[in-house]
Amino acid sequence: MPALFRLIGVGGVIAYRALFNWTTPAMFVGTLLVGPLFQLLFFAYLGRQLGVADDGFYITGNAVLAASVACVFGGTMAVSNERRFGTLGHVLLSPRSRTAVFLGRVLPYAANGLLIAVTTMTAASLLLGLRVPVDALPGLLLALAVAALACGFFGLTLGAIGLRFRDVWLVSNVAVALLILLTGVNVPAAGLPTWMRVTGELLPITHAAEAARRLVAGDGFHAAAPQLAAELAIAIGYATLAATLLKLFEVESRRRASLDTL
Amino acid sequence: MRTLRMIVVGALLHAKQLSRSPFEIATALIVPVVQATLAVHLFRAGGDPGRLLEASVGAGLMGIWSSVLFGSGGAIQNQRWQGTLEMIMLAPRPPALVVLPITLATALTGTYAMVATLAWGRLLYGIPLAFAHPLAFAVAVPGCIIALGMFGLLLASTFVLLRNANALTNTLEYPIWLVSGMLVPVTALPGWTGPIAAVLPTTWGARAVREAATGSGPVWPSLGACLAISLACLALGAIMMTHVERRARAAATLALA
Repeated sequence: MPALFRLIGVGGVIAYRALFNWTTPAMFVGTLLVGPLFQLLFFAYLGRQLGVADDGFYITGNAVLAASVACVFGGTMAVSNERRFGTLGHVLLSPRSRTAVFLGRVLPYAANGLLIAVTTMTAASLLLGLRVPVDALPGLLLALAVAALACGFFGLTLGAIGLRFRDVWLVSNVAVALLILLTGVNVPAAGLPTWMRVTGELLPITHAAEAARRLVAGDGFHAAAPQLAAELAIAIGYATLAATLLKLFEVESRRRASLDTL
Repeated sequence: MRTLRMIVVGALLHAKQLSRSPFEIATALIVPVVQATLAVHLFRAGGDPGRLLEASVGAGLMGIWSSVLFGSGGAIQNQRWQGTLEMIMLAPRPPALVVLPITLATALTGTYAMVATLAWGRLLYGIPLAFAHPLAFAVAVPGCIIALGMFGLLLASTFVLLRNANALTNTLEYPIWLVSGMLVPVTALPGWTGPIAAVLPTTWGARAVREAATGSGPVWPSLGACLAISLACLALGAIMMTHVERRARAAATLALA
């Protein structure tokens, strides 16, 4: 068991460093910290001007959403860049569990997403003047962490699909755009058509954003717990789906000798 | 005349090249429609259905800006990756004239965003395309696109100086949407953003297109300001591009990423 945890933990961190060897502090700050903050401000001012909801609604929702770009693209890259860099074959030749290897890849991305979400929430709260109850902070941190994890596994599912379909970046770009629309982060769920609301319920972020809003409103952890549990279930669901698809496509690609076909 | 022909042929060539990328096409097809849907639902949630045309137009402008930003930001880098940068810079024309068609092509492909958001709004949400000044709208949109293409040259020349232009392009999308008043009126923003908005061609272009669509003001002064600022950007971009090209030739770094 310790060996498995070592594989997941150490393997994930090494892969993260290898796949992101091209990044720089400027790129990290610009893309992952400043970008989501401006996205939050855009929707907060739009919501203010239209009278849709108060700043708290947008700050909390978009802070949860802030984790999505890093986690969804990260999860996708965890698989697709292995193929792009020509190292997927080596990973699949490993005598260890590939499911553990790939699921472990998500953890650094989720930690990264959590950092981004916390930074965005803190900066936006200071800029727009949102006061968060101190006793809500642990629950809020948990909500952001679960959302980041769910987004990471969602990204890994997209990455697994990338083993089968050529243009996985297209799928990721569209998925991130749809997260902004369908998760009720910017448009209150009541204002969305039923099919959009139902689709949003099956996506990451929706439940975590709702939980975070309840915590910020001071409703207490017990009020947010059902939504947190739902978000965790979504995360586990996508992790299972990703593991299944990875297994399926690995077997399929070995059978058809299409592993490195881009 | 030959210069104009070169710009037109070059822009069409690069637009054709962009049209060969399934990723570019599919992203350009889907993302503006998602943004338009979001804008329409937000305006509806705000109890302001009378402004849905404004939402569609605003989403279209956002799409054009995204296209210019990412296209121009990556213009030089893309040529470098394709191995054609040296050939472009060897052309017996000023480098700005050779790069301008690329940035115009990205703005041209962004036109789709406006068409798509308006069509999407009309077909799915029944938003009447009742433009206050249809003729002015038909002039303002291409005028805005050409202006943004010229502004793109300045972006391209600036980004070539930066090793990590991607970081800047990824960061500039939402701030320009916000400060230019594409969906949020500039008056709703903090006062210190006013001077920034005033020097951006995107602000005046968005204002001209919105005024033509809704009749909220005189279109031509706004379009004139947009074109004037963009021409200044074009001149500045041309100077910078020449400077950058000479420096890259002297340092032998043209092909280096």
